[in-house]
Amino acid sequence: MFFHIVLERNMQLHPRHFGRDLREKLVSKLMKDVEGTCSGRHGFVVAITGIENVGKGLIRDGTGFVTFPVKYQCVVFRPFKGEILEAVVSMVNKMGFFAEAGPVQIFVSNHLIPDDMEFQSGDMPNYTTSDGSVKIQKDSEVRLKIIGTRVDATEIFCIGTIKDDFLGVISDPGTTS
Amino acid sequence: MSLDDESPVNSSSSDDFAAFLDAELDSTSDTNPQQEEEKQESDDDDAEDNDDEINAVIERTKRRKISVVDDTEEPNGSTSHIVQTKVTETSVKVDICIHPGFIGGMCIKCGEKTDDDTQSSVAFGYIHKDLRLANDEIARLRDRDLKNLLRHKKLYLVLDLDHTLLNSTRFSDLAQDEGYLLDPNDPMRDALKGSLFKLPFMNMVTKLRPFVHTFLKEASNYFEMYIYTMGERAYALEMANLLDPGRVYFDSKVIAQGDCTQTHQKGLDVVLGQENAVLILDDTEQVWSKHKDNLISMERYHFFASSCKQFGYKSKSLSELRSDESDTDGALATVLKVLKRVHNMFYDSELGENFAGRDARQMLRAVRSEVLKGCKIVFSRVFPTKFQAENHHLWMLAERLGATCSTEVDSSVTHVISTDIGTEKSRWAIQENKFLVEPRWLEAANFLWQRLPEESFPVKDVKVNH
Repeated sequence: MFFHIVLERNMQLHPRHFGRDLREKLVSKLMKDVEGTCSGRHGFVVAITGIENVGKGLIRDGTGFVTFPVKYQCVVFRPFKGEILEAVVSMVNKMGFFAEAGPVQIFVSNHLIPDDMEFQSGDMPNYTTSDGSVKIQKDSEVRLKIIGTRVDATEIFCIGTIKDDFLGVISDPGTTS
Repeated sequence: MSLDDESPVNSSSSDDFAAFLDAELDSTSDTNPQQEEEKQESDDDDAEDNDDEINAVIERTKRRKISVVDDTEEPNGSTSHIVQTKVTETSVKVDICIHPGFIGGMCIKCGEKTDDDTQSSVAFGYIHKDLRLANDEIARLRDRDLKNLLRHKKLYLVLDLDHTLLNSTRFSDLAQDEGYLLDPNDPMRDALKGSLFKLPFMNMVTKLRPFVHTFLKEASNYFEMYIYTMGERAYALEMANLLDPGRVYFDSKVIAQGDCTQTHQKGLDVVLGQENAVLILDDTEQVWSKHKDNLISMERYHFFASSCKQFGYKSKSLSELRSDESDTDGALATVLKVLKRVHNMFYDSELGENFAGRDARQMLRAVRSEVLKGCKIVFSRVFPTKFQAENHHLWMLAERLGATCSTEVDSSVTHVISTDIGTEKSRWAIQENKFLVEPRWLEAANFLWQRLPEESFPVKDVKVNH
């Protein structure tokens, strides 16, 4: 799920950046530092959309660095248990398959793949129904439901299922290309 | 004073959201231990959660009913109590997940978190770094995979890297005569193109064994292949990349040192394949002590001088001589024929369509025992005195190759294997016009899978050498 929220961060800036474009420097450093990172609390920071407020700077003793508290608006992405996501399959093996929804990696074990789909090994390993009409392989797009999440400091990992109504392949790279 | 206070701080405007997230995080993960008191008020949001959540609660409450342990760390005790009374009427049909495996501490089937996932499960780090599977699940997967395999008429093949498929050395270990390998203007460059690789970031040079590409291509028609090496993971993946740039053969089937369950031993326990359908190619017999019947020993491939030195060979290496193993007649080509024969025997249509009871190990044994069929061998000055002859590896090797061994000479003996021309048995062999060969003849027969011309392995006169 995506959220648009306000976060705050203390930014340290080297004195050489002090000048007319101090604010721009601060913002670009903030984007570099924050975008694409993950916090267990809020999920992935997708993009900074605006700066709310830059507080008063505080000079640090000894180094000359200045700390600014910066409040910024950003879009964050965090998967929840029970949420339906669309993801791209990144790897298929006999255990099940791995899929990616942006920065989130999701594992769907073969217990949670419909029973009529069977693993086929080969140079393009895949799960296929007995009549061959549905096929999950690398780069397939699937709709899945999250049943478990684990949030680390740097990554979010999920367990998903496609064993439910309206879940499964939504586009097959073999047929579209 | 610490300078590392560039940390995110919660702003007041997102407190509601944070509270909601906290509730979610605490119900689904264990990373956020603080702010326990906010949970109570936001638990109402959780009540409408999905069934899986309820399942987890059922499990919790069931466990609590069985053992009356005061679960003090249950944070939202009051709400789960309400849920419990609500669901116990409907919970009869809900079956408890047996947790077939864990990935990062989460059950791969129900998503439930657990702390003691290391018990009675095997790590499968080569598939995913946090994956562990319970023994029952491994058995189930093997069973299922075997059916699939039999339908495709394939077998499993486990391949070693170093000295079997390739040979690597460090830049710093290159001998003087091997300098030409790094010289871009050397005429040998063209001949070695596609089989010699420089890996500057690892400080290594790797030479693939001749015929390896054809070998892999052919073998992939008959086998599902794994790489199993005692090297480190990074090295193993890099080598897999050289052997299989298209990731056709070895995708997520590269097993490295870190995946072994026993130190200095390779085991098939981390291979998701039924043992009776596995063949192994390796140059080191000792590491497969539990799976000797599956093993085909390979003659070591030494291309670089450092590799020869490491195994105590004094002669010049292939690289120093600017030569290489034969492409069409080398060890890999030989072993491919054997592999194909075993495969043919396993899927022999005369034995019917039911493959279930067949054992590739038996087929391998049968093929091997034809090599020296009809030979009767006597050893002379090969075993140390007082050594139980039947336990010597050459004796056992000869028997595996189909020969019969004896300690005493008689008229039925065909070969005398000796290290010295002067022994009584050696003289007897010359007198009786029997074959007199050195022990290397036996080893060569093992590697090349055929009875070799005895004239090429004469026993040298020890006295002349001294």
